[in-house]
This record gives sequence, structure tokens and C-alpha cells, in this order.
Amino acid sequence: MTDIWELYKNGSWEVPFLTFCIYIFVCASFVLYLLIVASRNTKIKRERLRIEYDKEINQLMTSVIFEDISFSDIKQNKNFLVLLDTSFFREVLTESIINLHKNYEGVYAQKLEQFYKDSNLIKGSFKKLKSLKWEVKCKGITELAEFNITSAFDNIITYSKARNKTLKITAINACIKLAGTNSIVYLVEHSDPIDEWTQLNIIDAFKRHDIGDTEGVELLLESKNTTVIALGLKLIKELKLTQKIPFVAQLEAKAPNLSIKYEAQSILQTLTV
Amino acid sequence: MTFFNTDITWFLDGYILLILGYAILIMSSYLILAYLSTKELRSYLKKNSFVDYSVLLTSEFAPKLSLIAPAYNEGLTIEENVKSLLSLNYNNYQAIVVNDGSKDNSMEILIKTYDLVLTEVEIHSKIETKKIKGIYKSRNAAYKKLIVVDKENGGKADALNVGLNIAEYPYVVCIDVDCILDKDSLLKLAKPFLESQGKRIIATGGVVRIANQCVIKNGRLVEVNIPDRMLPRIQVLEYLRAFLLGRMAWGRLDGLLLISGAFGAFDKEVAILAGGYSTKTVGEDMELIVRMRRYMLENKLPYAVSYIPDPLCWTEAPEDFNIFKKQRSRWMRGTIETLSLHKRMFLNPKYKLLGMLSVPYWTLFEFLAPAIEFIGLIITLFFIIFGLLNWHFFFLLLLFVYSFAVFFSVIALYSEERTYHKYPKQIDFFKLLMAAFIEPLYFHPLTVYAALVGYKEKIMGTKGWGEMTRKGFTKK
Repeated sequence: MTDIWELYKNGSWEVPFLTFCIYIFVCASFVLYLLIVASRNTKIKRERLRIEYDKEINQLMTSVIFEDISFSDIKQNKNFLVLLDTSFFREVLTESIINLHKNYEGVYAQKLEQFYKDSNLIKGSFKKLKSLKWEVKCKGITELAEFNITSAFDNIITYSKARNKTLKITAINACIKLAGTNSIVYLVEHSDPIDEWTQLNIIDAFKRHDIGDTEGVELLLESKNTTVIALGLKLIKELKLTQKIPFVAQLEAKAPNLSIKYEAQSILQTLTV
Repeated sequence: MTFFNTDITWFLDGYILLILGYAILIMSSYLILAYLSTKELRSYLKKNSFVDYSVLLTSEFAPKLSLIAPAYNEGLTIEENVKSLLSLNYNNYQAIVVNDGSKDNSMEILIKTYDLVLTEVEIHSKIETKKIKGIYKSRNAAYKKLIVVDKENGGKADALNVGLNIAEYPYVVCIDVDCILDKDSLLKLAKPFLESQGKRIIATGGVVRIANQCVIKNGRLVEVNIPDRMLPRIQVLEYLRAFLLGRMAWGRLDGLLLISGAFGAFDKEVAILAGGYSTKTVGEDMELIVRMRRYMLENKLPYAVSYIPDPLCWTEAPEDFNIFKKQRSRWMRGTIETLSLHKRMFLNPKYKLLGMLSVPYWTLFEFLAPAIEFIGLIITLFFIIFGLLNWHFFFLLLLFVYSFAVFFSVIALYSEERTYHKYPKQIDFFKLLMAAFIEPLYFHPLTVYAALVGYKEKIMGTKGWGEMTRKGFTKK
């Protein structure tokens, strides 16, 4: 420190300062270059592994879905058990069975759900819910919802009031898939404003999961939160719930603000034509 | 004589302190912005991995967008460009192509290809523009989203204003007709308008990247390549730095002063209330954003400008030095004009972060930097010639600036590698790395020269864009 001050006092600080900075920039550039190379190598390695794993997983899942091979039979394969212990293999396996589950229905889907439970991948998903990172929680929620693990509902619903918007949307969507309109009751009490993007996601979840029973949607119109009311109106309009017209008419008569009133009027017009 | 020597030494010390101080200030500001950008980018990518944009595709509540694409002498490519505009992944939109008095056969091509007929449309002109010759719509239901406006030549800003007057929907997306848009670009651009909480989103902008030597098929980018020619190649690196390490941070700070004219969405009502695009400047894209923000601040209306880091729009960079010079000198003129039109905002606390940080930053590091650099170089050389400074110090100073420039480019490459990874080929990475070493010696002096030309043109009162010819993309 004294040396630096001496250099400054003597007026000869510029050259050492510039030299020092040049060294720093050169070293930092070199370190970044090495990081780029390392990152590229990791990507290449992971890609190679993924291709290898995909091949094995495809074979395995074909036998699970079409040949009625149970998980206890698969467990005989020591190589598979070793692989199942690696986190990257589990990640690829989970992704694969999620994709398959999205494409299959009925017995095939049930077989995949059973495999998810037997292989203990379900444990990993529940573990993810306890993570401190919101993105890991989101992954866990998505997995549990995809395989219709209804026992996770109570756990997931707590995140529907999360501060993180992405986590909130993921949780609400998952709850709608798991419990249909039962989950909507929780929204009625929601105190924070729900932005339009979240509203569209909720509506989309209803459409996507083909929830026929829409009982309880009218409860949204009674919320003290105007954004929840707006969501209710949008849901009624998008799903064309003509049986909810009396509730919309009621709302129109005692709307909390003009925008809700106009929206209710427009829905009444659309649905009564 | 002693007094004179003391005086010179004092002046020299002060000068060195000044140039080093300026260099350190600019370098640290770049590093701070890069840090903020990286943080914001990571957070965006994490969130985005859970976003399902198809929600907007199937919903009637998706924001309704009017695309405005001004075209001037684009006859060679207009057919394909319009086709690509009509095949974007979005439902609630209309595409308005404004033919700005082209001298070529653009209009004939459009009429023939899209089976257009003259239509009577009632226009409530909120912004004054040059005369409209006719408005065309297609007889073919497949092109029902298309509206073509034929008007007298009035420049890009005037054509965009015509689009603003005609647009039926509440949000307008202003694009360069020759840009290649990502198929999902409208989905990504529209989302922020739905996310406002208490604040009105007045504009959203996306990242523009260089498409030279990339392969285009049916109006879509199918293969990303790095140009062989050095001038466009360095511009790839330059755009990476600007968009990945700069604008993202300004977006996070809510101090963005510029949304690229090549691709940006605006709240139509606010754009019109602010007066629309200014025809008095060649930097109409930057000027509109500044004016819209100013309007919101002066009327005490809560607002935000959103920025999307995904590469949504690909454009052709100049490969020829003369065209490059014209483009950059125009950018400089645009910057000067915008900053001078809004000089009231400079260090004015009434304009919050915009007045206290964004405008001063642009003034000091965008507008004045080339002049400071040039004058600094002349003075330093003068000192060396008169023996007041030695060559050793001069080269050390150059090496200091050079090593930082390379370092900063490598940060941009690292950021790209860890995020979008659009250049996976090994050869492309090395091409860009090589460009990082060459840029400070070859490209940077050119940009300074072009900026000085921009100053000169501004002083001489040059107006307009000048002729900008394009080479066209590689097609498959």
C-alpha cells in the first residue's frame, strides 16, 4: 500500500498501473478462453452421452410399454442400475418418459406412470420440491403433474402463492391438471394481482387438460381481487360456459369497476347471441 | 523558463490523468453493464425455459399486433419478404407493407403476387404524413392479414407514421422489410405487454443479429454461419457485445434509449400521443423511444420498456466500406439529433434514471467518444513529437486499450457460448476469436472515422439516408 502511495506521490504511477491492467486483461481473457473451451467440451460430451442414453432408454421403454416388462425385471440388468445412479441418466430418462407420457393415453400411459413410481424417479421429483432454487421446484412440479401424482397436490398448491411468477404459474397449472376446478377455490382468496400472462396460462391449462367439470368457476367472480374476477370472466368467455350467464349478469349489476362491468357486458352479449 | 516547464509538466500530468480517467470510466461502465446483462440474461433464460409460448397461439386474448414494414425499392426481394411476414407463428396480427414511393416495380410485384385490389379504407390521420396514393387488400383469403399502402416518398419515418395511422390493433411492430424474423418472434415480443403490473409497457425490443453468409430458406434462417469477409464478421462480434452485454443491462435498469428500428413493438396509443416518428431525424427509432419515455415521465404515468435477449431478427450488415461508412455516419447523426432534441433531459432529475444516467451516458460515451478519441490521439502524438511524452508510454497506452478491447470481446463470446450458443461450429468460434484480435486495429478506426464523417455531415446540414444497397442473403 505504501509502495503504491509512493509511486503516486512521485508521479510515476502511470506505467506500473498500465502494465498491471494489461496483465489483468490478458490473464482474464485467457481464463475466459479456457472456460469457453471447457464449456464447449462439456456440451459435446453431454451431447454424446445423451445420444447413447437415448438409444438405451428407447429400447428399455419399448419393452416396458409394449412387452409388459416390469421394473423388477429391468432391475436384473446391473448396467442399468449403475446408470440409474447417475444424475444425468436420470435426467434424460425423466425427460424421455415425460415426452412419451405426453404422447400416450390409457394403458400405455399407466405403464409409464407405474415405471416412474417403481424406478424411484418420483422420489427425485418430490426432492426437487424441497430445493431452494425455484427453477428446480418448477421442474419437480412439472414432473409430478405430468404423471398425475395427486398426492403432491397439497404440496404444490402452497407454491401457487409464491413470489416468483414462473413458479406460481407452474404450480397453478399443475394444480389444475391434478385437481381441476378444486384448485380454483384457492385463487378466490388470492390477494396479489394476477397479470394477464398468468391468466392466459391458467385458461390454457383448463383447455389443455380438457377439464369438463367447471363447477366453481363462478366463485372467481366473487373474489375481492379484481384480477381474479377478470380471470373468471375470461375463463367463462374462452370456454363458452353459457351455464354461468346468471353469475355474469349478477356481476355486471354490481361490478367493482367500469372495466369489469364492460367486460361482463361484452361476455353477456357474446354468450347470449 | 522554469515556470514554463513547471506549467507544462502540470498540464501533461493533468492530461494523462484525464485520458486515463476517461478510459477507466468507459471501461468500468462497460464491465458494470456486462455484469448486469449477464445476471439478467441468466435469469431470463431460466424463466424462459418454463414459458410455453403456444398459450398465445391459441388464445383470443393474445395482444393484437399490427406489423408495419416500410419498403423502398425492394423489388428484388419483396415477394419473399412479405411471404415470410405472413407466415409468422401468431394469430392476432395484420401485416401492413408501406411502399414509400419506390421507383422500381415493387408495387407491381405485390399486386400481381398477392392478388391485390384497391380498397376504400377510412383513415383517421392522427399524424401528418405524405399523401397516400392507395390502399390495397388481397382478394385471396390466404392473404387476408395483408394490407399494402402505396404512398408518395417521404422517408422511413413518414412510412412508419402512415402505418401507425392505418394500424387497426393496439400494438404496432415496426420492422425492416428485408429482415429475417424468427418464426416465434411475435410470440416473444407480445408476451411482455401482458406482464405489466401497475406499469404500462410502452415498447418491447428484441435482439438483432447479423445474417451475412447465413443460409435462408423460404424466408427463414436455417443455418447460421460466420461471414468470411472481415468487415461483416467483426460486426457479428460488435452486435453480440452491444446486445448481449449492453442493452440487456439498460433493459434491467429501465434506461433503454434505443429499440432497434429493424425490430421493435410499441404501444400504438402512446406512440401517437407522443407524436409518432419524427421525420426531422435519421435516428427516428431512438428518437421515438426517447420521446415516448419523455411523454410518460412528463405526464407522470407509470411505464416500462421491455427488452428480450433472444435473437429474433437477423439483418444484413454492410460488407463494403462505403456503405458501412454511410450507415455509421447516419447513426451518429441520428444520435446527435436525438440528444440535441432532448437536451433538456441531460442531468435533469425530473427524468429520473433516464435524465441522470442514460442520456449522460449516451452523450459521453456514444456521441462524444469518437471526438475525444480522435482529439486525444492528435494531442498525444503532438506531445510525443515535441518530446514531452515517450513512445514507450504511448505504446503502453495503446496496449492497455487494445487488451481491454480483446478482453471485452472475449466476455461477449463467453456470454454467447453459455447462453444461445448460436455458433456451435469450431471454425466459427475461431473466426470470431480472430475477429476480436483484429477489430481494435482495423474495425475500430473505421467506426471512429465514420463517426467523424457523421459530425461533419451534421455540421454541414446533410439530411436523409443516402443510398443503401444490399447484397442479399444466401438462399437454399
